[in-house]
Amino acid sequence: MKILDRIKSREPCVESGWDAFDFLVDAPIDEAFILSLRPLGSFSYMKALKRPFFKIESHHYIIKGLQGDSFFRVAVHRDHMDELQMITGYITGQT
Amino acid sequence: MIYLNNAASSFPKPSEVLEAQAAALAAAPESQHRSNAADGGTDATALCRERLAFLLGTSRPERIFFCSGATHALNLLLGGLPQQYSCAVVTATEHNSVLRPLSNSPVFAGRIAIVPCDNAGRVHPAAFEEALRAAAERWGPGVAVVNHCSNVTGAIQDAAALAQAARSHGFLFLLDAAQSAGSVPLRLDGWGVDMLAFTGHKALLGPAGTGGFFVRDGLRLRPLIYGGTGTDSDKLTYGPDEQAPLEAGTQNTPGIAGLLAGVEYALAHPDAGKSLRDELKKELDSIPGVRTYGPETGAGAVLSFNIDGLSPSDAGYILRNEFDIVVRTGLHCSPLIHDAIGAGPRGTVRASFSGLNTPADVRALVQAVRQMSKSPAL
Repeated sequence: MKILDRIKSREPCVESGWDAFDFLVDAPIDEAFILSLRPLGSFSYMKALKRPFFKIESHHYIIKGLQGDSFFRVAVHRDHMDELQMITGYITGQT
Repeated sequence: MIYLNNAASSFPKPSEVLEAQAAALAAAPESQHRSNAADGGTDATALCRERLAFLLGTSRPERIFFCSGATHALNLLLGGLPQQYSCAVVTATEHNSVLRPLSNSPVFAGRIAIVPCDNAGRVHPAAFEEALRAAAERWGPGVAVVNHCSNVTGAIQDAAALAQAARSHGFLFLLDAAQSAGSVPLRLDGWGVDMLAFTGHKALLGPAGTGGFFVRDGLRLRPLIYGGTGTDSDKLTYGPDEQAPLEAGTQNTPGIAGLLAGVEYALAHPDAGKSLRDELKKELDSIPGVRTYGPETGAGAVLSFNIDGLSPSDAGYILRNEFDIVVRTGLHCSPLIHDAIGAGPRGTVRASFSGLNTPADVRALVQAVRQMSKSPAL
């Protein structure tokens, strides 16, 4: 899957001192992509929802999204913005 | 989209609000003592003051002043108090629009007592009285600030009892009606409230950028903003025994015209979504794995909840992106209440209603929460 763009979310996690970004991708997110993110942190997957919700949580970032959407959200602590590059690199390397 | 974030800012606005604001923008500006264009038409600002006075329960419309909203109003009030009031007693339910002005004030910082609330967000008058007594003994007279209707749990405080307690200990009583004005009956004169702050864009259904405050007759505040008023223009200074004008600069008259229409709507629709909130609480309480926060009934049109296994933020994400339901998640700018209600440190999901929501909105949210609570995370 290719990342087309990364835009600052209109719903940032400002109360907790984190910033959020929406990663736009070139195809609807599927289960294979979601499962490929598992190594990035603790993994949560609500498959029973009509459009399953997934979340990957690490110390300094959270990745979340819905299967079928063409974007997912990454929240990063302001002191660890470099994690955005790591996530981008990981996804790019996977596909 | 189902919009359940009216405690942040109400949407949609009644069509009357849109029309009134547009008409005000299309007409020659109100005089405000600065123009000879007044054509004898309706003075929306004066009328809005009168209707707000009726809504707030005071016979003194001239003691209502406009500004940009509750945060602006609270800063003006707290920053303009007479010098002898140099400590503060507040409740754990307060919004940052109260906590931050006080905590960053050279007068009040370090001289703030916080009265706890119970797990529904209610402040008990006995605890409030005890805090007032202790603060008066330690610091002398001050100001007591109470969030009338919690923006987290909807709990409505007993303003009459709390105002009486403040008065008995020599404290001024400031009621933060950001959530309650337009949603909860107010009786300023009867309760003995010294000051009140309100906003226009929540339950009063007016435009953002409108709001104001009430100051009882005889309480003299130091304005934080000086400027043109259209009156006494040759006077540059104000003496210690006179009240300098509390509204300076050109007022937001198109916004006030919209606010007037919102006030009329609120007066005509007093339920303001409160029955929908009670219905939602009843339904959510029946879903295993869902916890609600707040009084059973008799609350404002606000309900917080959490779903087992989901952070408030994740629940909000799913509601928005899967079910097209807008709520608010997190601390709601009220950081102190969450420990008391058992929702710390991540806060809650909050659904908040206006008189323009419908039972179908409640059903949609309940159905969504039911699905989410039945979806185990793998």
